[in-house]
Amino acid sequence: MTSQRYTSLYQSIEAALEDHSKSDLLRGCMKRGRDTRAAALEELPGGVAFRGDVRAAKERCIEALPELKQRFIDNARKRGTIVYEARDGADAIAYCLNLARHRGARVIAKSKSLTTEEIDLNQPLIKAGIDVVETDLGELIIQLAGEKPFHLVFPSIHKMAPEVAEIFSRTTGQAVADDIPSIMKVVRTYLRPIFLKAEIGLTGANVGIAETGGICIETNEGNARLVSSLGSCHICLIGMEKIVETIEDALLMVLAHPVSASGQLPTNYVTWMHGRSPLGEGAAAEERESHIIILDNGRTAMRGDADMREALYCIRCGACMNICPTYGVVGGHTFGYIYPGPMGICWTAGVHGLERAGDFAQLCISCGLCKEICPAKINMPHMIAEIKHRDAAANGHLLVNRVMMGADRAARLGSATAPLANAVLASKPLRALLEKTIGLAAERTLPPFVASTFMRRFAKRPKPTFELIRNVVFFVDVYANYNNPDLGLAAVDALERLGCKVIVPNQEVSGYPYIAYGGMDQARRIARRNSSKLAPWVRRGYDVVAIEPTAAYALAVSYPVLTRGSEEARLLSEHTFELFEYLNRLEDETGQSPDPELLTGRRLGFHCACHQRPLGGGRGAVDWLRRRGAAVELIETGTCCGMGGTFGLKGGLLGYDLSQAVGQPLFDLFSASGVDAIVTESSVCSIQLAEGTAMRVYHPLELLNLV
Amino acid sequence: MAFDFASRFEKLSGIVHRVGSEAAAAATIAQICQTSQAGCIALAGLSSTLVALIKEACEQTCPELSILTEPYAAADLPLAIDRADIGVTGISFAIAQSGTMVEVADNDALRLVSSLPRIHIGLLRAEDIIEHYHDSAGRIRATIADHPENLVLSFISGPSRTGDIELKLTLGVHGPEEAHCVIIDAAA
Repeated sequence: MTSQRYTSLYQSIEAALEDHSKSDLLRGCMKRGRDTRAAALEELPGGVAFRGDVRAAKERCIEALPELKQRFIDNARKRGTIVYEARDGADAIAYCLNLARHRGARVIAKSKSLTTEEIDLNQPLIKAGIDVVETDLGELIIQLAGEKPFHLVFPSIHKMAPEVAEIFSRTTGQAVADDIPSIMKVVRTYLRPIFLKAEIGLTGANVGIAETGGICIETNEGNARLVSSLGSCHICLIGMEKIVETIEDALLMVLAHPVSASGQLPTNYVTWMHGRSPLGEGAAAEERESHIIILDNGRTAMRGDADMREALYCIRCGACMNICPTYGVVGGHTFGYIYPGPMGICWTAGVHGLERAGDFAQLCISCGLCKEICPAKINMPHMIAEIKHRDAAANGHLLVNRVMMGADRAARLGSATAPLANAVLASKPLRALLEKTIGLAAERTLPPFVASTFMRRFAKRPKPTFELIRNVVFFVDVYANYNNPDLGLAAVDALERLGCKVIVPNQEVSGYPYIAYGGMDQARRIARRNSSKLAPWVRRGYDVVAIEPTAAYALAVSYPVLTRGSEEARLLSEHTFELFEYLNRLEDETGQSPDPELLTGRRLGFHCACHQRPLGGGRGAVDWLRRRGAAVELIETGTCCGMGGTFGLKGGLLGYDLSQAVGQPLFDLFSASGVDAIVTESSVCSIQLAEGTAMRVYHPLELLNLV
Repeated sequence: MAFDFASRFEKLSGIVHRVGSEAAAAATIAQICQTSQAGCIALAGLSSTLVALIKEACEQTCPELSILTEPYAAADLPLAIDRADIGVTGISFAIAQSGTMVEVADNDALRLVSSLPRIHIGLLRAEDIIEHYHDSAGRIRATIADHPENLVLSFISGPSRTGDIELKLTLGVHGPEEAHCVIIDAAA
């Protein structure tokens, strides 16, 4: 019913799928971003631990923001800076226009600033007859080409040297050779007079420091050094969330930003600017002014919104974009409004409106990888789910998303009518009809339903007679219950053999699809119900073991947020374990080591489901297989396999087609790896990998013929 | 520590010269002027002793060189400094861990001297090198406290760089394409 809304989104996805050249480039940038970040973390003492420091500092500073902002303003004014607080974009634009008029400015030199792009500051200034020139090379190329940035850190990465040379030939009216050094010489010569004659230098700021009233501006090219020193008037537009308390906080941000963005420690140049310095000796000194515009533009409202507040922890590094699977295929022109990528959904909702964010939020497949790379550990998956939810409240859910959210009910029905349901799933004409009507991808081979569910068989099975030393609640979720009870029972056997008393008390499904598609009322209800059903067992000394990675993630990571930190959810989260992590621990504790020859000679490629990343990255299963003699390699592209839970089960561009494009590089890696089979714990990744590679895909328990 | 700073700064495409005295530093600067065939050099943020030593060394090595020194008249700026091929500035302190020279300026002429010319030379004393990045907070705080009004601290970790075309690292797009650090270290 709302699918017309996505017509242009579908067209853009289709264009990206037809022409790979841009996404290949983009993925190159993203991989480079991830690789350089990883290399920088090797050198950084404590490695990823800096994320905890950044998180803590941002939590503290955003909590104290009103007070810190006032202290920043007071201290900046003491240093002679003129400070203006702008309500919104129009307010900030009016201030800049007045100032430019007042100072008779004809040329404004700019260094890269996302915040000026947020309010589209260039256009009104240009309309007023002022020459506004971007001086960051990538931004300049984009400006001269009349385009929008292609990537946050590398805005012009889609332009090869000959095209850039052509742009500068056109701009300067002289032939430019198409090698990069020649282009650089031309750029330097072209920009130098602009730097020298600009009356106003316009910059953003990466940090504002309450303690000193100063700002930090990071660049690699050094353009911000020139922009902030040459013009007689300097304007800095800073989002209010960039204000931190102390110099120590500023040092931390100045490090965290480039580590995450480009793997530097820190950027080449960081300008810590306080007040306005004279230029040379003599009368001209008092002509020089420095203005800081502190922009609100929705930020105060974001701060007051419990589900959106974390967006203010964003330091604009772009790391989330470097790992987002669908962004890597469609790029920031499609996956974004002005702010691109996962964080772009949250910021668009905050500053440009829910409707605009909703226009591209469907591209998020809720893999959660953005949260795992974010230097401030921002819970983007939760915020995006909330945005989808609010957007759906106004515009309705897509039918196919409603179908996917009801997958557990469909599975129950499928199991109750197993022979018929399986015949339908196996019938090509009926599958084509199902794709047309409810949007289920016809291409997918889906696991058949069983009539006798895990729950039923577990209740009927004889109780073990050996000594039981530990108490475990087994969390089943959908697949093991309705499609593969043998797998669930094999897991229970494995736990019992290591001395666990396993119970399967009343429980609901994990409910993750509701989070993925923004059915937050149901997601919250399920989180509360499962927490109150399972927490009492935890209190009685039980651990909770989940067999499906996404279910473990829901219990351990999502529920505490969904229930706003309820005691029951917290307890459940702390006592939830993935199956193999738990089995390994029991083997260590009981000294029951497995036969080290069981899998000797097997060469296996392990696929880590995205939702396992924060839970241990699949180490549990890999160790478990290695203890049995298997040679196991982790095979990964650094992003998702493309399935995204049930995303890849949906038909068409915003489902199967996109999921294949995301998965292809991983399929290629597996095919070229020489392993004799793929192993994964996720029931849905397993479908994607089996279809994409035509290789055998196993659950670890299946390798031992335990299932 | 001077070694740690040097290896990091060089990793960032900077060039380090370790010398034993101010006179040797001045000779090194004159040498760089000669090698790069500079016609004009601008100095800022240096002691009068160093300025005199640099003038003397340059007169011997490259007598044609014109040498600009503080004070810079506001009326002549920025064009006067834009003429210079090489800018030499005093470095207040440095951070070994990140290969960062920290320049402290309460007049933007100093910033132009280190950012407009094709070659920048920072002059650093070995005892002013701090080992760890996060330990620089105290020094930064003290510097800012010394200047109740205007002040700019500049972290400089190598030459101006960009990867904006085809992700290929290219030096010197706006600022210096060569960044030198001359470390005066009596122990060197």
